Amino acid sequence: MNLDWLDAFLISGLFSVVVIVGLGLLLHLQLGLTRIANFGVVGFFGIGMYSFGVLFTKVDWPFGDLWAFLISLAFGTLVAGLSGLLVGWLIADLDEDGVLVGTLGFATAVFILATTEQDLTGGALGLGGLKFPYDVGTVKADEFLWLVIVSIVVALIFLYVWWVHRTPYGRLLIAIGGNEPLAKSLGKPAFRTKLWLFAVGSAGMGLIGALFGVMERFLAPENLGIDVTLAAMVALVLGGTARAWGAVIGGFLIIGFFDIIVQSYLPLPKEWYGQAIPNIKEIVFGALLIVVLLFRPLGILGDMRRDKLMRRVHG
Amino acid sequence: MSETNGSLVLEVSGLRSGYHGVNVLKDIDLEVGNEVFSVLGANGAGKTTLLGTLARLIPLTAGAITFQGEDVTHIPAFETAARGMGYVPQERGVFPELTVLENLLVGGMIGERSAYERMREVFDLFPDLEALQGQLAGTLSGGESRMVACARALMQDPVLLLLDEPTAGLSPLYVDMFFEKIDEIHQTRGVSIILAEQNATKALEVADRVMVLSLGEAFAVMDAAELTTEKLKEGYRI
Repeated sequence: MNLDWLDAFLISGLFSVVVIVGLGLLLHLQLGLTRIANFGVVGFFGIGMYSFGVLFTKVDWPFGDLWAFLISLAFGTLVAGLSGLLVGWLIADLDEDGVLVGTLGFATAVFILATTEQDLTGGALGLGGLKFPYDVGTVKADEFLWLVIVSIVVALIFLYVWWVHRTPYGRLLIAIGGNEPLAKSLGKPAFRTKLWLFAVGSAGMGLIGALFGVMERFLAPENLGIDVTLAAMVALVLGGTARAWGAVIGGFLIIGFFDIIVQSYLPLPKEWYGQAIPNIKEIVFGALLIVVLLFRPLGILGDMRRDKLMRRVHG
Repeated sequence: MSETNGSLVLEVSGLRSGYHGVNVLKDIDLEVGNEVFSVLGANGAGKTTLLGTLARLIPLTAGAITFQGEDVTHIPAFETAARGMGYVPQERGVFPELTVLENLLVGGMIGERSAYERMREVFDLFPDLEALQGQLAGTLSGGESRMVACARALMQDPVLLLLDEPTAGLSPLYVDMFFEKIDEIHQTRGVSIILAEQNATKALEVADRVMVLSLGEAFAVMDAAELTTEKLKEGYRI
């Protein structure tokens, strides 16, 4: 396959967009529909990434690389899901402040574990040895194929979210998010529903984390900064927290702008790329969040448009 | 205490409940059969607390609740609802981000009968809702929201309906319509109703029996026809 038209920066930029869109979609189910403000996205992303990485690189697997890879991937997803179950159990009945502190605290704990558990994670020096479960010739081709695979995974997540909007389960999530006591009085098990939503969402975030780790080939605690959570949240809020397309539109706009247009096509001084651009990016994310919440709190796409959707679903 | 009409649907004994460790309700005893049972009382008497406790949304600190012969004292709200207890709160009675149709479907998730069959019945009862079914509930007027809340509770096919001041703040036109509907729900569907109200005159028109709550205590429980103005004033501490 001739990939001359594609440069490494574009692959990397698109990959960042796809990862943030995936996280934003999962966050949409939690924040947009059920009003669980999960500020610990990077914690679930990180625990999936490290669980996968540690198992894949530290265990001497008796069978082929592909099986070792798939088992490790499933393990990373499972550990993230179980973490979500535990954190969800602790926060499901708390108010918004409690959820914020609880989820942020979890993300911090994962960061500290990744930094201090040096025997397992390599600590601040990081953990190398990750590789693609295939070899199609060149590094660029390997990375491009991985971008396609991860894009398919994120597209499947999008289809799941799109489907949820059209089902009684989606109505249940919106009902619990909008008025939990009323939902309970109508026979809806709000706690159990929130718990499973949190566990499934966290497992998805862990899976995306593991897939991200493979592209990086090297796991380091600096991948677990608050900027990952912030990027997913800003993308979702900018696009529209209540809409399935919100995270997709927002992700392409903000990450696409910084990681593709600014970094690849704007003639900026090279020394800016190390420190200045990442810092400017975080400042712009914060400012964007404030501007959107002030002037367009429902994001670019606006509210859920349930009336039109219901006309399509129920005729 | 006056006699209930027919077999017991709800039995409450020694009920105490409240908020943050302070009991609002003090040793309430109550028996409700197949009837409209009105709970009257001034602001702060404990009407909302009583209905919220019966719906299992407010934890009780003492006492027991038996619903259709089963002890439901310690089961969560969503399980009481599944057993046939419908609850219409005074405020925030709809899901604002769902359409009227979706609000009704959320109520219709419980039970054996088709949700669309039940929806047809609630549209017969509240014909105005049929034209509003595609509208977001958050954009409805106060009267329309109350209709949706009531219709959604009926979608559960309840045995007992707890109505918390369904006409508070509504125009006289809506007030009359609501009391007619309450009577119709009981007469044609056989649903037992506990109706918390401040509008004693209207409530007594539809109620079989009445409880006057005063500062969290059952000041009087009697047939509605026997309640005198003096007794009511005494209960309202006027």
